[in-house]
Amino acid sequence: MNQLTPAEPVVVARDLVVDYLAAHGPVRALDGVDLAVDAGETVGVVGESGSGKSTLGAALGRLLPSRAERRHGSMHVAGHSVFDLAPQPLRQLRRDQLGFVFQDPIGALDPTMRVGAQVRRALRGRQPSPRRSTRDAVAALLDQVRLRDPARVARAYPHQLSGGMAQRVALAMAMAVQPRVLVADEPTAALDSQVRDEVLDTILALTRAAGTTVLWLSHDLNAVARRCARVVVMYGGRVVEDGPAHAVLARPAHPYTHALASSAPSHARPGERLTPIPGRPPLLAGPAPGCAFAERCRFVVDRCATERPPLARVNGQAVLCHRAEELRSTAALPLPARPTDIPAEIGGGR
Amino acid sequence: MRLFTWWLRRALSGAGTLVGVSILIFIAVRAMPGGFAETILGPFATEEQRAELAERYGLDQSVLVQYWNWFTAALSGDFGTSMVSQQPVGAELASRFPVTAQLTVMAILAAAFIGVPLGVLAAVRAGGPGAGGRGAVVGRLAGGLGVSLPEFVLGSIVVYLFSRYALGLSVGGYVPLGDDPVGNLRAMLLPAAVLSVFAISATARTTRDAVLNVLVEPYVTAAVARGETPWAVIRQHILRNAAPPVLVLLTTVSAYLLGGAIIVEYLFNLPGVGSYVVHAVGRRDYAVVQAGVLLAAALFIVLNVVVDLVVGLIDPRLGVTTAGRRT
Amino acid sequence: MKRLDWLSRCGLICLMVLVAAAVAGWFGLAGDPAAIDGDRLRPPGAAAWLGTDDLGRSLLPRLLEGIGATLLLSSLAVLVTAVVSTALGIVAGYVGGAVNEAVLRLVEVLYAFPSIVLAILVAAVVGPGRPAAMAAIVLVTIPLMTRLVRAAAATVASRDYITSAVVSGVGMPTMLVRHVLPNVGGTIAVQGTYALSIGILVEGGLSFLGLGVQPPQASLGVLIAQGGIYMVAAPWLVIAPGVVLVLAILSINVLGDGLRDRLEPREARSLT
Repeated sequence: MNQLTPAEPVVVARDLVVDYLAAHGPVRALDGVDLAVDAGETVGVVGESGSGKSTLGAALGRLLPSRAERRHGSMHVAGHSVFDLAPQPLRQLRRDQLGFVFQDPIGALDPTMRVGAQVRRALRGRQPSPRRSTRDAVAALLDQVRLRDPARVARAYPHQLSGGMAQRVALAMAMAVQPRVLVADEPTAALDSQVRDEVLDTILALTRAAGTTVLWLSHDLNAVARRCARVVVMYGGRVVEDGPAHAVLARPAHPYTHALASSAPSHARPGERLTPIPGRPPLLAGPAPGCAFAERCRFVVDRCATERPPLARVNGQAVLCHRAEELRSTAALPLPARPTDIPAEIGGGR
Repeated sequence: MRLFTWWLRRALSGAGTLVGVSILIFIAVRAMPGGFAETILGPFATEEQRAELAERYGLDQSVLVQYWNWFTAALSGDFGTSMVSQQPVGAELASRFPVTAQLTVMAILAAAFIGVPLGVLAAVRAGGPGAGGRGAVVGRLAGGLGVSLPEFVLGSIVVYLFSRYALGLSVGGYVPLGDDPVGNLRAMLLPAAVLSVFAISATARTTRDAVLNVLVEPYVTAAVARGETPWAVIRQHILRNAAPPVLVLLTTVSAYLLGGAIIVEYLFNLPGVGSYVVHAVGRRDYAVVQAGVLLAAALFIVLNVVVDLVVGLIDPRLGVTTAGRRT
Repeated sequence: MKRLDWLSRCGLICLMVLVAAAVAGWFGLAGDPAAIDGDRLRPPGAAAWLGTDDLGRSLLPRLLEGIGATLLLSSLAVLVTAVVSTALGIVAGYVGGAVNEAVLRLVEVLYAFPSIVLAILVAAVVGPGRPAAMAAIVLVTIPLMTRLVRAAAATVASRDYITSAVVSGVGMPTMLVRHVLPNVGGTIAVQGTYALSIGILVEGGLSFLGLGVQPPQASLGVLIAQGGIYMVAAPWLVIAPGVVLVLAILSINVLGDGLRDRLEPREARSLT
């Protein structure tokens, strides 16, 4: 099963292109994604709706809707080429190596089944120790995600749970098999702001203990940067910036990341106006001819519209921008000083 | 407990509907030209018969009392006397009911055991590779043809084929199930098959829609993401969640089948309730007509209440809100 | 706006052909339906394309007359249903409260009758004939259509733009006609289509039982019932009207499905 050499990253996407087949023609969701994630990393993938982050997350388990189609490139998870696997090995991979936590916590649980029964299905006879009964194993799992009164939760139906409780149950089910990779797609977007931090703490504590690699998909750059070591910024179906969280947040190298960081409410001082990003994200029908952000970019030059930017290394970051080097040297992307006492959590909401 | 009170409300509502139905039938029969006595007894009744009828139905009393007497008598199985045969209608209905019930039950079983799997298959294939291809169009056309094929057309053709060419099964020659099970099945198989075609197609179509609706639910994605096999996802999650609309449809279908059974019994000359009622309309035997119609409606209402209970047991959310299922 | 798929367009074309055939029959293009040729139960051939019936009448003109009668009868009945159901459904769905409750009760009572059973009751009360068939279609289709129009209107009534229209002082009649009606138009169109196919089915069934349209008037149900008597000797007498009836119902259903898919598209998901 384990074909992994220690040096090899656990998730590798190479020039991955995915289209959605809509009634009026194809819509490009991923436009050549390159990404490598090492075992045990905690990566925050940031982007607006339509940036392709959810498609990327789904591509890890080949969970794309049937109207989506991979056009090009590959996705490797734990050494397996996901798009080339036969159904049975693919299920094996999903079962043993991957865990998913979705946005709608209550919707992700079967409404007709008690929580305990669903968690038991996720365990599938996989018990931590042979001496413990399944019921104990279920209770232990629910206890692990810091649910108070696990026995009562196990007896409940999903509609009787709060969003935060349901998301903890979903997390328990995803982590039941100690997967190598956990994909959390906006896990707190549907939750009340009070419980968001608690749920995120639980996710990260649990995955750290299990050594699980985390891909946390979010639209909230600051929240992600605060908790992840590494941040990946997506725009128009591509990874436009990738680097250590503190570097990306402190000295964004891509104009889009900079705009994102400046538009976050946590950057505003009281009384100051937020800077919104003008324009809308692109809706691509095919490969973007140049940089997808060109239309909204303050620093746009002619070749941005016609030539796809190559990968550039700036500071510690990998950036897709023609002028990355130039912008860094002229310090054209300053950020307002960040007031550290304001929690970065405010930037949420959908 | 919540579920029980919810169901009790549904049962009471069903009882209310039954009262409404009976009032409608009562008014309809009494509103006929010629007056009630004329209608029930026919034009050639003797004075004696008229007096007996007036006393029996309390025709000298208020309409409300008349209704109450009629309705309570009907509830206890007393549907009056047939004008044509001068026999109690209740006894005649009871002796003919098994034929209609057997036909309907055979068709419903066919719908459940053939229609539901077909529908699940169609939905799963519609979501899978090759969706919208030739198979989907053929399936859609076949399902559409099934619900567009009325019993009287299909039945006429089947009767023709089986009486013109010796195809093994006889048309007619009904014997009760208890007397000769093999002979009974030989006589009932064709009518039941004719009756089943609509039920199977309608069930398959609704099952397909219900399953398609469940397929887009996040918990199905979550189950697939956990690496569950398609069969496990279907059995554990899809069938349970798609069951309520399918069960509700099966109730509607059985109501339709009670109607279809009338045509099939008429066509195949089976001694069921349907042919009894149809012939009664021709003979203006209204005691029989109102009893038969009331019976059919009552059966449907009772079935609905029972299905509500089953659906409530499957979907725990139903007891909580009257709004019902999330969609 | 997405166009109808090809299957639904086939249904529409098929329906238009049937209407054209009925109109042609109306103008006597296929001959006089009542004219007696003399030869009884003659198989289809050059003289009479669809053969002749037990009285020696050519089937083709009778069939066209039957198509016309069935389509006209069902369409008129569905028109009545559409008007009544739209009025009841919109008012009940939008106003809610006691009105809603009353309409729901009425619909529930009508819905409790299996369609043919209700049709038989109507025929028993009104007496067999065209009026009975029409009244039966109206009563059978009203509960189905009213339910769905009411549900659609209730959904519309809860939308924000209705609330803001109320706040800006739009009166109830204006509201119902200008804002609610256009938004339930799709439901009415789809359900009206289905009601038409149910109407044809009810007319056929009732006439087949001898309780609907009465001979010598023709309708598809009458033709099938009468042909059934001579089925073994002259199967074309049932097969021709039977095929036309099934074709009519099928094309209307397919058209209804196409309309519905266009108005409420659905996403599909793979299990693998």
